[in-house]
Amino acid sequence: MNELDQPGLARLRDGWISGGAAFELAPVEWKEAAAASSPDEQERRLLAIAAQALDVALRPAAPKTLKRRPPLPVLALPMLPERLRPPLRAALKYAADARLKTRVATLVASRGFVTHPMDWMPAASDQAAPEVYAPWVDWQAGADGEKHSRREHLTAETWDDFYPAARRIALVDLRRAVPALARTLIETKGARESAEVRLALIELMRFGLGADDVPFLQSLSSDRSGKVREMAGRLLARLGERSYPTDGGTEDPTGELAALIEEGKSGFLRRRTTYAPIKLKSPAQQARRADLFASCYFGDLVARFGKTEPDFIGAWQFGVDDNADRFLVLMVSVSGSDAAVACLADMLVAEGGKLTLLVLQLMLRLDSGRKRLLIRQILNDAQNLHALSLVEGAEAGWLQWGDLANGKTLSALRSAVSGDNDVMKRSAEQYLEAIGFLATAATAEKLIGDVAAAGLPPASPSLSLLRLNAALAGNTTK
Amino acid sequence: MQLDLKTIEALAPDQASLGAAAKLTKRSNWPRLEAHEQLPLIWGECQGSGSNPYRVAFDTSDHGYKCTCPSRKFPCKHILALAWIGATAADSFARVDQTPDWVNDWLGRRRKPGQSPTPVAASSEGKSIDEASRPAESAPVEDAAAAERREAAQRKRAEDTRSAVSAALDELDQWIADQLRLGLAGFVDASSERCRRIAARLVDLKATALAGRIDELPARLMALRGEERPDAAIRELGKLVLLAKAWRTAPDDAELKRLVSTSETRDQILANPDAVQVESDWEVLGEKIETRRDGLVSHATWLLDLKSPTPRFAVLLDFFPASAGRRSGAFAPGDRFKARLVFYPSRHPLRALVAEWLGDVAPGSWPSFAPDAAGDPLAAYAAFQDGAPWLSDCPIILPAGAIAQDEKDGTWWQAVNDPHGIALPVAGSVDPTLLGLDLTATAALWNGARLELLASQSNMGRLDLS
Repeated sequence: MNELDQPGLARLRDGWISGGAAFELAPVEWKEAAAASSPDEQERRLLAIAAQALDVALRPAAPKTLKRRPPLPVLALPMLPERLRPPLRAALKYAADARLKTRVATLVASRGFVTHPMDWMPAASDQAAPEVYAPWVDWQAGADGEKHSRREHLTAETWDDFYPAARRIALVDLRRAVPALARTLIETKGARESAEVRLALIELMRFGLGADDVPFLQSLSSDRSGKVREMAGRLLARLGERSYPTDGGTEDPTGELAALIEEGKSGFLRRRTTYAPIKLKSPAQQARRADLFASCYFGDLVARFGKTEPDFIGAWQFGVDDNADRFLVLMVSVSGSDAAVACLADMLVAEGGKLTLLVLQLMLRLDSGRKRLLIRQILNDAQNLHALSLVEGAEAGWLQWGDLANGKTLSALRSAVSGDNDVMKRSAEQYLEAIGFLATAATAEKLIGDVAAAGLPPASPSLSLLRLNAALAGNTTK
Repeated sequence: MQLDLKTIEALAPDQASLGAAAKLTKRSNWPRLEAHEQLPLIWGECQGSGSNPYRVAFDTSDHGYKCTCPSRKFPCKHILALAWIGATAADSFARVDQTPDWVNDWLGRRRKPGQSPTPVAASSEGKSIDEASRPAESAPVEDAAAAERREAAQRKRAEDTRSAVSAALDELDQWIADQLRLGLAGFVDASSERCRRIAARLVDLKATALAGRIDELPARLMALRGEERPDAAIRELGKLVLLAKAWRTAPDDAELKRLVSTSETRDQILANPDAVQVESDWEVLGEKIETRRDGLVSHATWLLDLKSPTPRFAVLLDFFPASAGRRSGAFAPGDRFKARLVFYPSRHPLRALVAEWLGDVAPGSWPSFAPDAAGDPLAAYAAFQDGAPWLSDCPIILPAGAIAQDEKDGTWWQAVNDPHGIALPVAGSVDPTLLGLDLTATAALWNGARLELLASQSNMGRLDLS
């Protein structure tokens, strides 16, 4: 369009917006082209010319402030082959929430692939995503692209070159490999960070926690953030460092808690000491006991009874008061030593039944071997299969066919899918999804055949994760 | 397969359905017929009256079924025909050990009725498969006088329609002039009511297609920001003026008739010697499904010709009543297939029918289309408008680019290293991930105001964006 026509078009436009004849406002050439005997026809002809001018000769003006995001980083693992994207999408579609979707991505990562970003992306706040996704987590969080996410050689000099998620993973690696170096970094770099970031950094001290960390953790007792002081106190407690988490008041909460626990004896021949919660009389007392379990440290409590942590756990009378059992397990999870956590987990798994479920409170502190034991126990008695999806941090793709076939799970699944009880069927479908994450590819394939033979439609969406797992056969990084 | 003709007879809702099914049992109607090796499942694609083939699946054990056609008869003639072929010509089915995704989807969603097949014994009354199989009695020979009368009646109907449409366009012209006189600001605010009124008049006067277009005008305006709507109204109304004038100049033009009154049938298009036919490899770029104000759902499936040296597109367009519920299409974005398409005659042939489906094609990248000599990504749109200025949506292939954001969180496609500094606003919201991807080529629909993304090739492979 001739530049001279543009003001004419603007005048026409203004005229038509407010209404009335606009012919006289048109550019001369347009008026000549649109001339007609009827005024209405003239207006319509002008309208047609203006429409074409707007369509072809004018283009939307882009704002000068258009901003592009930095390129999405390429991850360290290859992208899932195109042929496997449909089963991946089916598994993601079936996964009901973000946690279950992350689990699908974890399975895929365990077989050496990452998802296509249009199929699944971790959220900016996702800390459960497989480590390989850290650059995408940082990208989602709005990293500006001038830096590069990288995991190698985290040092004081390169600290600022790392985005938060990538730095977190590098620090965890460093804590596992050279804990002192990581501690020094946290000590020197953490001091200038906000309380929230400081807390996240101190929390990472749980990896590779050892006696060398005691002085630094003790120095945090004067940190300006209460949450940081509390975290440091818990970590010290795990190391057997006794302390009182109160701010120097006159109360003795650990003594108060100890008073709510009754020492007794059991056995006819070999009398041994037992500990059990005393019976409480009011909801107020129960609330107070809950607070005390949450705020005291396990090491301090057992010291009141003159026992070691494992001995105290061995003497605890589980089953007397379910709430007290749960509080105690939580307390061990937060402030118990590694030995106490291992002892408690082993004991509860060995007990079986509903006590096994208490181990779920210890998940963050358990090694992968104990997590597998827990899962095997859940599968073995098949009473609490719903707990399978509550096992946080479980590894993907290790469950063998024997783990299913030797216990009661397989027969329970067959019976549920072949029966008419819809509730049981739906539950079985959830268990299948959970097993789809845990199973090896061979187990997954065999299980699909087994439940299909029992009556579950082979194309049931509940088999999506198992199908993806089976399709990923031959790709195992672990 | 546990199928016999008695079962099919019993399943049929009425004798007419059986008769219609009998006509569809010819193998040529079924570009694809497959049966599972182990499972009691048969499925196929039947070329019906729509532009897409219908996807039909049948469980031979419990007689469950699924068809993507919009029929309100259950089972429809396509199901009956598939089962009929299964009962009488089982060899027609290719044996496979995998079910396609669309069959899986159906299997996953359906609830089985129980272990035994649907009881059918008492429901055969009044239906006969033998009768349906009998060739239709030949029509009585028409004498010359009767033929003359019939042709005269046809001519009269055509003349009546033309007169009615002409009157409709006169009313439309007057209505447009009224809108200009009253002011476009008021028109934008009251477009829903005003458009509905003139659309109803146009339907009365047999300008049905034009009525549908005007009915959708308010929705197109409201999809834009407030300050853009007057310009959009000028564009839309101006196009209507151009279309009306073009029709008056050539009322027998097939494209103009289609845009103003009614479209040809599938059979008419297939029989039309002027219809362009293209046999090629096609990729499904994406789908555009819209529920219209007249209660119809329009389902457009956009295709890209993978063998053409310059971008060539086709759109398979189907309409079905919204009350028929959600309907899955025959193709999924990213599907590739070899087929012979027949295009509806047009200045820029786009709307097409699948005349012959010739098999699947392996996945891959798009061809590298030669860029426009001037490097202008909208050159194709300008050419499109030169030939048919009354049309809106034009498919284009955009060169390497990226998606950028403005301060109001609106998104724009922006060319990489573009000498023209072109950025085009994107319709609707986009997946934020797209903002971090390098798009090496993008297929989209441009309507002069908004870009509707269909698919892209990127540094991370093909992206479905529709």
